[in-house]
Amino acid sequence: MKPETHKTRTLLAGLLTATALTGTAQAQEVNFWYHFDNADNPMSSLVEKFEAENPGITVNAENVPWNSYYDQLYTSIVAGTGPDAALVKLNAQPRLMEMGALEPLDAWLEGWEGTSEIQDDLLKLTAASDGKQYYLPVQYVILYLYYRTDMFQELGLTPPTTCDEFRDAAKALTRDTDGDGQTDVYGFGFRGGKGGHDHWASLTLSREGVGFGPGELTSEAGVAGTQFVLDLFQKDKVFPPSAPNDGFKEIIGAFQGGNTAMTIHHIGSSAGMVEALGDKVSAVPVPECGGDHWTSFGDESTAVFADAQDKEAAWKWIAFLSSPGNNTEFNKATGQLPVTKTDSAGWDVHEKRFVDATVASLPFAQLLPNTSETADFANTVWPVAMQRALIGEITAAEMNAEIEALYND
Amino acid sequence: MSATTAPPVPLSRRVLPLVMLSPAVLVTLAIVFLPMVQAVWMSLHDYVLFRPKNFDWVGLKNFTAALQDPVFWTSLRHTVLWIAITVPAQMLLGLATALLLNQEFPWRGLARALVIIPWALPSVVIALMWVWIYDSNYGVLNDLLLRLNVIESSIPWLANPDTALYAIILTLTWQGFPFFAVMILAGLQSIPKSYYEAASIDGASQFRQFWHITLPGLAGVLMTATLLRVIWVANSIDVIFVMTGGGPGYSTYTLPLYAFVKARTGLDYGYGSALAVSFTILLLGFVILYLRRAGRNIG
Repeated sequence: MKPETHKTRTLLAGLLTATALTGTAQAQEVNFWYHFDNADNPMSSLVEKFEAENPGITVNAENVPWNSYYDQLYTSIVAGTGPDAALVKLNAQPRLMEMGALEPLDAWLEGWEGTSEIQDDLLKLTAASDGKQYYLPVQYVILYLYYRTDMFQELGLTPPTTCDEFRDAAKALTRDTDGDGQTDVYGFGFRGGKGGHDHWASLTLSREGVGFGPGELTSEAGVAGTQFVLDLFQKDKVFPPSAPNDGFKEIIGAFQGGNTAMTIHHIGSSAGMVEALGDKVSAVPVPECGGDHWTSFGDESTAVFADAQDKEAAWKWIAFLSSPGNNTEFNKATGQLPVTKTDSAGWDVHEKRFVDATVASLPFAQLLPNTSETADFANTVWPVAMQRALIGEITAAEMNAEIEALYND
Repeated sequence: MSATTAPPVPLSRRVLPLVMLSPAVLVTLAIVFLPMVQAVWMSLHDYVLFRPKNFDWVGLKNFTAALQDPVFWTSLRHTVLWIAITVPAQMLLGLATALLLNQEFPWRGLARALVIIPWALPSVVIALMWVWIYDSNYGVLNDLLLRLNVIESSIPWLANPDTALYAIILTLTWQGFPFFAVMILAGLQSIPKSYYEAASIDGASQFRQFWHITLPGLAGVLMTATLLRVIWVANSIDVIFVMTGGGPGYSTYTLPLYAFVKARTGLDYGYGSALAVSFTILLLGFVILYLRRAGRNIG
């Protein structure tokens, strides 16, 4: 931003603050952004409860569509029209820090009785590279493999534990069930569009010595991982033909509609799955591929922004969301798992089999690298490279080289 | 004697038109020209949104980078296809529709009103609707073709790089043809009936009448409508963005979409602006042609 604009903005902000101060000193506002998939979310009841407990603070909670959530967030922060607090993922942290957009929470955390309630690992996991704490965890999930119990039973299959078993099962499950010569069930619903890097990662990064370090993705094992994904689509044809463009809605819809027999997602979609399929759906950890397991740890925290109009009020609101009781209400809405010790102990929102699959996946759950490149990886580099590889425009080696270049050049 | 020189126009009369025009001019300056100048300015800088403190002058670096960027050329090729197929297709369909609607038949008023629907619907609604039509599992298009035995298995129209761009072109053709139909219909009604009467007395066939009376009579309308559509279609990204987001891979990238993705998702406003400015320059020829025509009509 040009210095003049910055100066003008600071001046304007100063004037506005002064007006606000001389006007009504007690009118505190918190603009909060979040993203929920389900339309009937109880955010308003949480807001009402908070406002009753904290007279004088008004919370404007805005549900921002997920697909453009971070585009909106980054641009609004630079334009000076961003929220005061928001739901944020760990892979956005380096970029937000680079922008100087985050307010450290350390001083507040020290004086807050709820700090000891947050599960220890989660605070460590969300700590920033400079040692400060900018994020307050609010929910988490771990990705696992959904499968159709009825289809597995019909074919005498057991849930796959390795990549080879996974491939065999997917091939067997891909079939024409009504005899019209058309394949109507596909073995696996692969997410080739934005957000699908978790699927690819489970089948690729699990391999011995494969990660985002120099030469790791371009190694033989790294390329073999991506090639495995491509073969499933191009040779075995176990993904629906629309896989290159498929996103969250498509993979969940296809699984619930009976068009796919397996897919990878987290406990957040389990309520919808059970509603559509009853006990015909269950979950297991993702298969072990090439010697190890890799699954994605899906974190979600809240943060207060450095430009927040009233940081104290914003902190009170995010602390409220991560407090026992409220955290349960919040996670009932998102269908994810609570972060406080009390709420975790009394958690009975999900069916046991999905909680079990999550817990069993915990030992090998990983995060993407905590660097600024990860935002580009997830938003642009991976989706485009994966789609091009799936449609045969580039090879597995070329795709991995693009990701390798992003992280290591 | 004294009437040879016109009385001087009072100052207030001379200033009044300018005063009346100024609000519109000021608004246009603020919301059109200022962002345009800003885009040009940004295109000459290294400006990545998540590093707001760095705003370094780089001259034409972003433009030379674009010329060496294979995605730029892919996007340009798609943009040319996009315009070269969509606009003529819309025009032909619009012409056929207008000729039909110009005939006498019962409920003609209703038919004329209904034909506007694709044009009146929001682009996002149209895009979502066509995504379902093309869907490889549930889509009505695949179902129809399968039942007619035209294809043997479902085609993922939007996930197949060979069909994705053309599938979106068909959608946009459907959306835009009513514009041509309405413009041409208005043009048709301005052609005097006496021309046709005279021609038929002289024994001219239907086709001859169309070729020598209708088409020349519509030339002005067709030219203006086509120029306008070229500019609109070239810049239209909403339908592509909703239907495929540019994918699979770069299969449905057009230049404006590439600029948008670079700036909005990649947050690289410097390079994104350079792409947008380059495309504006490429499109300028059509804009000038249109402005000259518009100016001539007013004159």
